[in-house]
Amino acid sequence: MILLMAFSHSIFLAASLGILITLVLFLRLSLLWFNFLKGLGFAVLTFFLIAWLAFDLQTGIVSGLRLLNIGTVFFLFFQTTPPELLSNGLLKMGFPYPFTFVLSASMQFIPVLIRHARNIRDAQRARGIPIEGGIRSIFYLPAFAGPLLIQAFKFADELAEAMEARGFGISGRSFHHEPRFTWIDWMAVAISFTVLTVALSIRFL
Amino acid sequence: MILRFEGVSYNYPGIVTPALDGLNLTVHPGENVLVAGSSGSGKSTFCRACIGLIPHFHHGELIGNVFVDGLDTRQHSVHELFRHAGLVFQNPDAQLFNQTVEAELVYGLESLGMGPSEIEKRLAWASRLTELDSLMSRSPHTLSGGEKQRVALGTILTLRPRLLLLDEPFTHLDPEATEALRKILRSMKSEGITTIIVEHRLHEIIQDVDRIIVFHRGRTAAEGPPHQVLAGEISDYGLNLPPLLRLFRDFGVKNPVFDVDEAIVELKAQNLLTPFYDRLIGQSSNPSNALAPLMHPVVELEDLWFNYDGNSVLKGIDLTLRKGECVALLGRNGAGKTTLIKYLNGLLKPQRGLVRIFGSDTRKKPVSELSRHVSLVWQNPNDQIFRPTVREEVLTGPKIFDAYDPLWCDQLFDRFGLLPLLDRSPFSLSEGQKKRVSFAAALSVKPDLIVLDEPTAGQDEPSRRQLTSILGRLREEGQTILFVTHDLEFAAEHASRWLILSDGKIIADGSSDVVMAESTAMAKAGLRPTHRFQLIQAVKRLRENKT
Repeated sequence: MILLMAFSHSIFLAASLGILITLVLFLRLSLLWFNFLKGLGFAVLTFFLIAWLAFDLQTGIVSGLRLLNIGTVFFLFFQTTPPELLSNGLLKMGFPYPFTFVLSASMQFIPVLIRHARNIRDAQRARGIPIEGGIRSIFYLPAFAGPLLIQAFKFADELAEAMEARGFGISGRSFHHEPRFTWIDWMAVAISFTVLTVALSIRFL
Repeated sequence: MILRFEGVSYNYPGIVTPALDGLNLTVHPGENVLVAGSSGSGKSTFCRACIGLIPHFHHGELIGNVFVDGLDTRQHSVHELFRHAGLVFQNPDAQLFNQTVEAELVYGLESLGMGPSEIEKRLAWASRLTELDSLMSRSPHTLSGGEKQRVALGTILTLRPRLLLLDEPFTHLDPEATEALRKILRSMKSEGITTIIVEHRLHEIIQDVDRIIVFHRGRTAAEGPPHQVLAGEISDYGLNLPPLLRLFRDFGVKNPVFDVDEAIVELKAQNLLTPFYDRLIGQSSNPSNALAPLMHPVVELEDLWFNYDGNSVLKGIDLTLRKGECVALLGRNGAGKTTLIKYLNGLLKPQRGLVRIFGSDTRKKPVSELSRHVSLVWQNPNDQIFRPTVREEVLTGPKIFDAYDPLWCDQLFDRFGLLPLLDRSPFSLSEGQKKRVSFAAALSVKPDLIVLDEPTAGQDEPSRRQLTSILGRLREEGQTILFVTHDLEFAAEHASRWLILSDGKIIADGSSDVVMAESTAMAKAGLRPTHRFQLIQAVKRLRENKT
């Protein structure tokens, strides 16, 4: 990411995008990546247009590519790192357990909330309530948001009880799969640093 | 003694009516106890008090003493108590918060700071007992209801508590998953774990317990061995009694029986086989509907297919629902029942095949128009309530469709017992009352077809009885009804036609007696005939053998 910020030449950016896309293909994530682009693409385009109109075409292309690169890096990171490993890593770095737990657990509950939301949408549509599309739907926002919020609060309460009853927050917690820094990790760190140093020296020296 | 309540009373903060009111009880090591009571009798509060959530998590006023495994819950925190007593909560979703089943099972052990070898040992033991070995690396939220329930049980078992509590564990399980859970509970009994099951439906579990404690208004109303308690007068406590027991009571036989074999022995002993059989045959359980084939169709499905994530959920459904029919849609969880009913009002549009409501293709009309004809009552009423008062909640539909009929709506308020609640907030009601509000809301637009998803799930006996009488009256009035259920007793009582959905296909279609006699179809869908049906068959066989 530091690299992406440092380089302002479109050829470098295009090359790094190429590397990233190769990675995406290699990890067989292309379908997911295209879905992801549907969301990001619009932002990239807007960014490109604004930068082009405000400065020049070159800046526009660089800005657009940069955003696309950063987005893809994030995409790859979250696709290849299970939340549990991420939170374990943070924990090892000294972050407090409640913080890392909330980070991984909140991702866990996204599908549950989506399911709730879908049920509520179906239930209200089945009563003839126009909760999606059209100006009228604004009047019926509470029909969707009300039940969703109330169920989310209730869910959070129940969850807190269950966590308490399984010993959440006791000091001296052990870990069944203790994350360890192995030689692969050291290698990854070493390679990253070398590449970074080389790249920065090319750019600035 | 492993659990002891001494004169325990408890009020939730800001609530005047006590949730527990002078409760005394004792549970001994190795016992299997059923705590039974209607909703609001204090069952869930009792569970929370057993593991120290009351008084440490829920504040409020606690009087008296609770001892768990010899520890006074007032002196010891939840974090000290959880290795002595474990509770499987009602909602499996809200107690699974890890990325994998394995992480879920070991969570409590990690909390205790346990070493890896001990964790491995306990994990192996608990996963074998709960039959979770093949699911270890799955994410809990991708599992079926029955599997989630087993994971929730496993998370507690790894802690090897001396006391295990389960709060209404069968509510959302289909008959097959219920049977699987019963089997696990029986093997835990042989491991010597003291178990308390909290339920209002008795027939699932009554044969496996040593003792019943009946709760009523926060205190013990009756207790003793199952046969003894059920022989007494317990009709005021809102319990859902085993179906054969109810049948015997209606016939004037007082001795409680729980299964068909017991019933036959009892009938023989009292020399009542013939009169009992004649009466069973005489009062046909089957609400007949001879006119149905002549009536015009309300909904027609032709070769309907539905694919989701590359799997076929529905595989060529052909079905016609005619005016005045009352149809029960049965089958396993995950068989596609809920998917199917979403086609009946256009929430889902056919990708392949055809759905017609009153002859018009659902693909050409929006849900907002179709839902005028077909109303759905969902399993969870909390998915829909959002108005400040019960009156407005019920009248939302009629206002949108511009179809407000004051006379009909007043009648509905009366029928559903909502008159005293009209100006209350629907959020403040009990779950049973909410269910009635959502049912009334669905009927308020005078739909041609009403579809109910699991109407009896989680409902206690008084609430179930109310639903029964409302449904009975609607049927008499010629209302077309379809309901999805696991409750075969309820289905046999109401439905003139049964449909079994299995693996995306309708594999049986006919009156309840005809469908229950199709043993292959029943087995394929993991269903067992009602006790009443089994009893009639058993007596029939006996009589044939005699002659």
